[in-house]
Amino acid sequence: MTDARAPAPAPRRPNAILRRRRRELALGAALLAALAALPWFISDVYTQNLLILVLLYAGLSQAWNVLGGYCGQVSLGHALYFGLGGYTSTMLLLDLGLPPVFGMVAGGLVGGVGALLVGWPCFRLSGHYYAVATVVVGEIGYLLFINWDFVGGASGLTVPIAGRSWLYLQFGVSKLPWIYVTLGFAAAAWTVAYLVEGSRWGYSWRAVKDDVTAARSLAVRVFPSKMAAAAISGFLTGVGGAIYAQYVGYIDPDSILAGSFSILIALPAVLGGVGTLWGPLLGSAVLIPVSELSRSYLGSSGSGVDLMIYGGLIVAVSLARPAGLVSLFGTRGLAGGRGRG
Amino acid sequence: MIQRRTLLGAALAAPALLAFGRAAAAAEDVPIGIVYPLSGNSAQIGADAHAAYDVTAEIINGRHDPLPMLMGQGGGLARLGGAKVRLVYADHANDPQKARAEAERLITQDKVVAIIGSFSSATAATISQVCERYEVPYISADNSSPSLSQRGLKWFFRTTPNDANFSQAMFAFYKDVGAKTGHPVKSVSLFYEDSIFGTDSSNIQRKLAADNGIAVAADIRYRANSPSLSAEAQRLRAAGADVLMPSSYVSDAILVMRAMNEVGYHPPAILAQAAGFQEQSFITGAGDLAEGVLSRSSYAGDAVKTRPAIIPVSALYRAKQNKGLNDNTARQVTALQVLADAIDRAGSAKPADIRDALTRTDVKGVDTIMPWTGVRFDATGQNTDGTPVIQQVHEGAYRTVWPAEVAVAEPVWTVGQ
Repeated sequence: MTDARAPAPAPRRPNAILRRRRRELALGAALLAALAALPWFISDVYTQNLLILVLLYAGLSQAWNVLGGYCGQVSLGHALYFGLGGYTSTMLLLDLGLPPVFGMVAGGLVGGVGALLVGWPCFRLSGHYYAVATVVVGEIGYLLFINWDFVGGASGLTVPIAGRSWLYLQFGVSKLPWIYVTLGFAAAAWTVAYLVEGSRWGYSWRAVKDDVTAARSLAVRVFPSKMAAAAISGFLTGVGGAIYAQYVGYIDPDSILAGSFSILIALPAVLGGVGTLWGPLLGSAVLIPVSELSRSYLGSSGSGVDLMIYGGLIVAVSLARPAGLVSLFGTRGLAGGRGRG
Repeated sequence: MIQRRTLLGAALAAPALLAFGRAAAAAEDVPIGIVYPLSGNSAQIGADAHAAYDVTAEIINGRHDPLPMLMGQGGGLARLGGAKVRLVYADHANDPQKARAEAERLITQDKVVAIIGSFSSATAATISQVCERYEVPYISADNSSPSLSQRGLKWFFRTTPNDANFSQAMFAFYKDVGAKTGHPVKSVSLFYEDSIFGTDSSNIQRKLAADNGIAVAADIRYRANSPSLSAEAQRLRAAGADVLMPSSYVSDAILVMRAMNEVGYHPPAILAQAAGFQEQSFITGAGDLAEGVLSRSSYAGDAVKTRPAIIPVSALYRAKQNKGLNDNTARQVTALQVLADAIDRAGSAKPADIRDALTRTDVKGVDTIMPWTGVRFDATGQNTDGTPVIQQVHEGAYRTVWPAEVAVAEPVWTVGQ
């Protein structure tokens, strides 16, 4: 790790970076294949549900990672884009009968536009001020929806039960298709992160994250690059929101627009490794099972032991591995190890 | 491990079987899922519910002197060879997604034959959808949002009255008391918090006011858990309605009583949509200001003359939680009682048979601890005989004042005086 502490690490040779990226891609493909085969060995509905949630949060957290990790703009208002996606697809289904497969894309677009609209004023703020502003904007979104009768207000929206159909994302009691839907989502989010990591944008974002002034002096257009990151992040989060709404079958402001959701979206990436390709998936694979299993098997006593375990885990990881769980494997993202502390 | 438990069970069951001269094999337990918020901001509700269901299961399963209620004879489900109901608890932490996952887990792993829940209407929305998909009955003990029973679900049964029933009772009360005293209600002020509870409640009240020719003098929606309600109190005073109809949780309920007092406004009458106003901490927190406040309720703890089972059941509950039954816990006791009766009548632990038996439910109010006429389900699964009551604070405690069949006192009516 000596090079990580050096003030200016020697630039790696291009072919080293290429080799490394090729290795990441191969690992991604292998993992995708393994995850695609995994459901055939899981017949238990509860474990399937666990896998679905892990994949969904891996995707959501990866979406957050694009803006919060690579670009360094810590957003605590992602529940808004998540909610916009969920509400858009559900409203299109209920009012216009548009199948959620298309509603998902519309939800993503609305989420992306939402992120741009929030970014326009908020990106003029920096650091903590930006983070606080996103909290406030998220809360405003929550209040708007809870008081807006057209979208069901506080009563929320129920997705009607229909026959089995991929178009309508309705599979009766079968969970297998949902595993593939969420796997597709997580894989898409990973691919986007992979592509931008190696692109010109990715380098701009990391430059912006490390030092805005230095980036500007190197002709990086700071504001547009933040906006681009926000749009991509908002789009993916919106798609995730649409998937969640269809999966759960019921949404209301408390369950998808609450501020706690913004934390839940950011947490896997933060715990797993901010600004790394594998951090969000790793964080999600650890956090979600711990939270779900402890609640299911310890929570029914009402003693709160499950929450202590969950909280204790977060504290322990933050203390032992401040760079995230990813550092256990010795991998650093191209953005890893620098610019944070 | 399993073998040892089976052997142990057989060893324990054998003397009982001999004593009762039964030739039947030891009956298998009937697992029932109970999904409540056991953690999070409503954990206290979940803890109280846990105790209420435990007490009810003990009454149904245990060997004791018969209680004057349906399933109060003890000894398990008679038509299933004395099978015991076994409760399997799960925590939904007030999150619809978690509620959904827990319902699935209970059905697929614990093989529960029915689920009872769930306090908040948002979690009931997802649990009942899971139950519909898996074809397992869902008994709504305490979810009051009317929309839940309007989704065309076949496996949804709600023993409690819903918010529409509650508000209808309030306006029926106005009519009654107006005719009796000659001082009818001419105007009301609606005052409600902005979550699903307050919104639903006010929508129905607004409609019922119009239907009954009663003017809505003020229609005030406020943010739940507000730090201050002074501005709202001023508006209520300016409106000056005959009756203030609040739908609030407890902290807001205390706050608005104090705020109205500070601006010197004392409405002629207050008729609350239960919730915060029914809690002991409201009566303690509002002190003298609470005197004379009216509230609807689905439970009447003082109706012991017509509902004799209240005393023993409440005593059993007090032994666990160190407090009496309230509106929520009494309805939870009744939900499990009604379900156990249906399983017993079905003579089977198959969900489909239980559903059939539930549709034929006909429980008389006197066989429960509730002041209701009884329990019968319509085609939507809503109990049509769950008649609510109106109670009034008198010397620091609620007493039932309406309807006359279960009332213990006349209402003190201050409108128009």
